[in-house]
This record gives sequence, C-alpha cells and structure tokens, in this order.
Amino acid sequence: MTSPLISTPHRATNSPTRRIAHAVLVAAVRGRRDRGGDWGEAVLAEFAETTGNLEAIRWTWGGLRAAWHERRRRIHQLPRHVRITRRAVSVLIIAVVAGLAVNQWLLTVHTMPSGSMENTLLIGDRYLVDKVSFRITGLHRDDIVELTTPTSLRVKRVIGLPGDTISCAGGRVLVDGTPLDEPYLASDYPDETYTDCTTVTVPPNQLYLLGDHRIVSQDSRQSGPVNENAIVGRMLLKLP
Amino acid sequence: MPRIPHTSPQTLQLFEALLDDPQRWRYGYDLSRETALASGTLYPILMRLTDQRLLETAWEPSDEPGRPPRHIYRLTAEGATLARQRLAARKTSGASIAQTRPAGGLA
Repeated sequence: MTSPLISTPHRATNSPTRRIAHAVLVAAVRGRRDRGGDWGEAVLAEFAETTGNLEAIRWTWGGLRAAWHERRRRIHQLPRHVRITRRAVSVLIIAVVAGLAVNQWLLTVHTMPSGSMENTLLIGDRYLVDKVSFRITGLHRDDIVELTTPTSLRVKRVIGLPGDTISCAGGRVLVDGTPLDEPYLASDYPDETYTDCTTVTVPPNQLYLLGDHRIVSQDSRQSGPVNENAIVGRMLLKLP
Repeated sequence: MPRIPHTSPQTLQLFEALLDDPQRWRYGYDLSRETALASGTLYPILMRLTDQRLLETAWEPSDEPGRPPRHIYRLTAEGATLARQRLAARKTSGASIAQTRPAGGLA
C-alpha cells in the first residue's frame, strides 16, 4: 500500500458540514439497521479518506446513488411474488394517499342534508362537489354552490351576481327587472315555489343565493347576499 | 443491437487503474481518485464486476481503532484478461468505443 493517496490516520477534526454529510450517508446506508448492505458499508468506510467539505459532500452524494443502486439490486433478487406484492402494496398506499388528498382538496361527494333544493336535490341525494376549479372559472348564475355558515354547510343556487338588482313580482324572481327563467323549479307545485323578496342590489364580491324549494329554504331572502369567501364548493353533478 | 458489456468509458477507466498493478488490493476511495469517477458511478461498476466474478473483494480490518474495516478490490484472473481485451479493443479501434459497438465484435 504505497499509494500517496492513502490517508494518514490523523486528519483534521471533522467540520459540521462533514459531520452532516457523514450522518446523511449513515442514514441512507443503514436506516434503522446496525449494518447496511456490504457496498453501502464499503462507501461509508471510505468516507474518512475524503478531505475537505466539498469532497465529503461529493462522496456522500455518490454514496447515496451507490446505496440506492445496491438496494435496487437487492430488491431485484427477491422472489418474483415478493416483488409483485411489494409493488402492489406501494401502489395501494400511494393511491390511498392521493385519493385522500383529492377528496380533501379537489373533489368530494356530499349528501344533501335538507329539502331546501327540492326537486333538484332530494334529502339524501349524493352529489359531486368541485372544491377548486370554480375559483378559477368563476361562478355563474344557476350554479349550485355549497357555503359554510357558522352552524352548517348549506346548498343553494346562485341567482344574483355582483351588480345585479334582485326583486320579486307575482311569485317570480326578477334580475334587473327581467323575470328569471327557472326551469329547475318544481312547476307542479306552484305554491311551493312562489317567491317573495325585498329588492336588493348585490354588492361587489357577494352573491345572491336561493334554494330551489322556495317555501322552506332559508337563503338570501332572509339573510341577504353572501360573501363569496363563504362559498366552499360547486356541485358538478348529481350521483345516481 | 445488444451492447457489449464492460465497454463504457467509465469501466475502461477503472480497468486501466486496476491493471496498473493487478495483484495489489485497492481501496474504493483511491480508485475514485485515480479514475476521477464519482462514488455513485464507481461503486455500481464495482458491484457489477463483482457479480460477474471479474473482481474479487475482501474486507481489510483497520489498524486504526474505532474505524470500520475497509472494502478492498482487485481483478480476478478472468477479470484481468477481459480488462486487457477491452482496453486493447479500444486502442485498435483508434478512437471511441462507440465506434466499435456497431461492428458488434469483441477484440
């Protein structure tokens, strides 16, 4: 062993950077075991030969690649059914996590809690809620939205947008004086859908919301327009 | 077209370093310095050569207390033969190994 590159035992004390690099390599090679794979341990045993912070980091970085390579080879040598099972388990876990994330932030399914949207949504009907894209596309008249109130989650239909003047005449809703065509109302039950309201102009960043079942719905007729920040979702479709 | 094994520039660099003194046991760190290969490139090649019994490995106990044993390497007889063939093939082809591959022949 005459190579001049072979180190002398007494090196400069390890800097914090070198200690961190060493700890990272140990963690990658051994994980929670006492001893990692042979090749990972081989890279680790050479760490003390490196000099300076930069070389230590480069050695560690390469060591991570080597340890990854060794791990892949070890997995590859496992029996086929073990590999397939492992792959299936990891796919399942990823799918569940991704599914939970989607359900939490993008799309979810809710059940209609009240009769205020009859006959569009009956009590117990399930529907798909979009939690994000309405913030990009914006809300339009006729959209069915969910809003949070201090006590509950409610489902209503958008009737008036900012700047619209909402009034009622003869049981019908007028937007800027023009009667609104509302084909979604249960026309067989005119007294259930008879609408009465006080005239109001919708302020900026607010929405005028009504439930389709006018006789029972608690909505903007009583509590006025709703701030758009209270809207948490838009119904995409009713599920069978 | 199947690739001829052990013809990458990195592997040839390693062969050159190992053939420098084929009988001597070598440390990974020293090989990395001599070949200018990063550990992440060098060790996978060492793994592959060892798997194919072209390289033999051993653990050398450290004479320094508290230091782990070091992994050491040298070419087997078979490995040394193959390494010489590959390096000769590179020389005869005149330039890069990439040119020898389409010819499909070994040295």
